[in-house]
Amino acid sequence: MAEARKSMIKIKPKKFKVGDTVKVDFIVIHPMDTGLKKDKKTGKIKPAHFIDSITFSLDGKPFTTMKVWETVSTNPYFSVNLKVPGKGKITVDYTDNTGEKNSKSKKLKPKG
Amino acid sequence: MKRRNFLKSICAASAVAATVSPSLLLAKDAPKGGNILSYDAAVAAITGGKAVTDSAKIKLTVPEIAENGAVVPVKVNVESPMTDADHVKAIHVLTTKNGNSRCADVMLTPLNGKGYFATRVKLGGTQDVVALVEMSDGSFLRAAKPVKVTIGGCG
Repeated sequence: MAEARKSMIKIKPKKFKVGDTVKVDFIVIHPMDTGLKKDKKTGKIKPAHFIDSITFSLDGKPFTTMKVWETVSTNPYFSVNLKVPGKGKITVDYTDNTGEKNSKSKKLKPKG
Repeated sequence: MKRRNFLKSICAASAVAATVSPSLLLAKDAPKGGNILSYDAAVAAITGGKAVTDSAKIKLTVPEIAENGAVVPVKVNVESPMTDADHVKAIHVLTTKNGNSRCADVMLTPLNGKGYFATRVKLGGTQDVVALVEMSDGSFLRAAKPVKVTIGGCG
């Protein structure tokens, strides 16, 4: 099940300095099935399939950890703040309830 | 097996099924770890019986009317200096009437700079969205706002 999912990290605003507080948005393409909906083709109930934990880290040091349930929308979006301490790499690791693990990273490049 | 025992066991099984099935539809496919389903149970599990105070420090942004319950944006802003001594430890996003009332638990650190979290949640019907915030001194703050939902998004 270890397929690579489409995901994206956005840092807002695009230009920032050391010491600024920026928004870190994380979006991933994921069905987030609740285990209640029927599959329209087969008529069978789709099993629950959702992301249950997410870790945001900067250079390997976690700064935000999340526990998530199926009540979060399809193709979920999570946004947190980060006070930029300097250059680094933001990594987001996420696991879903089937044990599928993925991660996405983006470089943090403050100017000035 | 005797006929009497057999009937007894069937009765017991069906009674259990009848009481459990409507409310615990989600539990059937619940992941390991077990979901806490009702709102009161979820709050009790988070706070551990501590008092929760309503606070104006939390700014909860939700739409008044959500046309589509499957995608309801929720934004939580908490006023806090975010220093090592005084910061927002966790933001819990809950709903009052969903099958599973918990949406997200977000553990923050002083590195975040601001007590901010945003996401999109599913709402099964018109209900309140609640932000339960744990501060670093162990106190719990709460803010709630009702959302009208025209089409539910949990079925």
